[in-house]
Amino acid sequence: MAYITDYQYYENNGASPLDKNWGSYQYVSLEDIVSNFMLIYNGNNEILNNVERYQVLFHAKRGIQELNYDAMKEIKILQLTVDSQIRFTLPQDYVNYVRISYYRDGVLYPMTENIQTMWSSAYLQDNNAKILFDINGNVLKPENSQVDLSRQGDGMAKLYLGEGPFNNCMGYCIDGCWYFERQIGDRFGLNTETANVNPVFTINKQEGAIYFSSDMSGKSVVLEYVSDGMKNGDNSQINVNKLFEEFIYAYIRYSLLNSKYGVQEYIVNRARKEKSSLLRNAKLRLSNMHPGRLLMNMRGQSKWIK
Amino acid sequence: MAMINNVRNTVLAIMNKNNYGYLSPQDFNLYAQQAQMDLFEDYFYQYNQYINRENLRQSGTGYADIVKSLEEVIDSFSVQAFLAGGTANTWNLPSDYYLINKIFYYQNLLTSGTTTAANANQLINANLAGQPSPPRFDTGATGFTVFPATGSIVVNTTTLAQSFVNSVANQTTLNLATNIFPALGQGYSIFDANTIVEVERVSQNKLFYLTSSTLTAPSTLFPAYVLDGNTITVYPTSIQTEGTIKTQYIRYPKPPKWTFNSIVAGEPLFNAAAADYQDFELPLSDEPGLVAKICQYAGIEIRESEVYNFGSTEEVQENQIQV
Repeated sequence: MAYITDYQYYENNGASPLDKNWGSYQYVSLEDIVSNFMLIYNGNNEILNNVERYQVLFHAKRGIQELNYDAMKEIKILQLTVDSQIRFTLPQDYVNYVRISYYRDGVLYPMTENIQTMWSSAYLQDNNAKILFDINGNVLKPENSQVDLSRQGDGMAKLYLGEGPFNNCMGYCIDGCWYFERQIGDRFGLNTETANVNPVFTINKQEGAIYFSSDMSGKSVVLEYVSDGMKNGDNSQINVNKLFEEFIYAYIRYSLLNSKYGVQEYIVNRARKEKSSLLRNAKLRLSNMHPGRLLMNMRGQSKWIK
Repeated sequence: MAMINNVRNTVLAIMNKNNYGYLSPQDFNLYAQQAQMDLFEDYFYQYNQYINRENLRQSGTGYADIVKSLEEVIDSFSVQAFLAGGTANTWNLPSDYYLINKIFYYQNLLTSGTTTAANANQLINANLAGQPSPPRFDTGATGFTVFPATGSIVVNTTTLAQSFVNSVANQTTLNLATNIFPALGQGYSIFDANTIVEVERVSQNKLFYLTSSTLTAPSTLFPAYVLDGNTITVYPTSIQTEGTIKTQYIRYPKPPKWTFNSIVAGEPLFNAAAADYQDFELPLSDEPGLVAKICQYAGIEIRESEVYNFGSTEEVQENQIQV
């Protein structure tokens, strides 16, 4: 992107939206990355020549996707109310979640993932457990499985973490009251993997939805997630932080050299090492370790740990 | 100085050693065209050869930069022209192209309309009076932004001629760098000069892979084209507006023509002022090469092997010097 005037930066030259250019200087656009690469790294006297632009575009986007997955830490946040089936449809650009919380009275309550199944598909069966088919030979399916119905109602057992002798026991929460089955035998400590008083969730990736336990009915959920930075395919919106610019060039260069016939192995290795070290550099830069922040952290060094 | 006359005189002098070699102007023109085409094509092969040498550190810089001088010759045949639209997203290529080097897409249309009057080096559209800016032109006197910005590209969509905005005269008139609106009622489009993108050539066998990939599918930011005969098909298919696709290409050299207007003492008298006169377009340094080539053709015509051999030997020697 070309350098812009102060008026263009703060007021977008009087056009709408006003905040279009705010913070834009941190980023370099995909268009600039591809243009710069074609200009500087591809040519008759360069290591790379006869490279098509679409190849550069492909590797540039792949590099940006990889960065978004594990290095950029550019987290997107979406708040929605769960629907009648106590589920939250994943956003269109969702790749993986960072944290899922439910929101109540101005406070975010982080939730834990339930490692047990909370959803299932089912087939219709007769009373002899034989599967039922339609006239086309396709299996008949109910709208909800029993697992789904249990989750949507109050029929699914949950961990009770509260006062009294039933602390850390599985029970049923119905209309705010807890019911327990008769306890037989001893308890052997807390199962820390599931020990959380907040509601739980499970993600059905194929179906594209997050399923919650029944106590989440009608509640507001905040999803923090990472995307791949492809901005729904709008090339003009795709950009990358300038701290990663050199890495992206190195990534493209390595990917092209690695897939090109007849390139000497030492050249490919050189490109690979350059790419790796630049990624490390960029991650360090982006981690924002500076004296002011370290000082704040170190102030707690003499605090007593109870 | 007419190079073609020098070449012809030299060829005739070489052929006429026994006073029986004569080459008619018509035959000379035919051979001259062949020779010029031959040398013209050689430039591209030489260019490639010298780039390879450059990469092997066998070519120098400064006066030893052969690639640079070859580029200069090839660039002297470079032409830029807007393409006339065909049906939908197809565009017709110019008839005289030898090599399409680049296709451009002017993606940011600032405004368009039709001229209401004609004045030298100006674009006038009286219908803009009273309208907001844009589309009305703005001198910037009352606001912060001049519209359209100086240097913006103006295209006459009727004739496909191009110019640039020099300044905004008033709300309805622009001052242009050249006179591209000789008559009223001609369409115009004004484009941002900073947002021109290159349309990439894609081979036919890659096209469908390209368009079906989410990562590489052509967009207005990264458009692509395929060549079909003398037309190109541009992707994405939404690119259809007349005056948005431009090409930079290398044209064929024009056929040389040695013209004369009278015959004096049995000899045609050279006339460089004739309407159909055309000199060689190759640089003067190619004169020996042209003479050698034409001698080969002429030697065959008059069945004089010595003339043919002289031409061949000269050509071989010249090539050896270049190597």
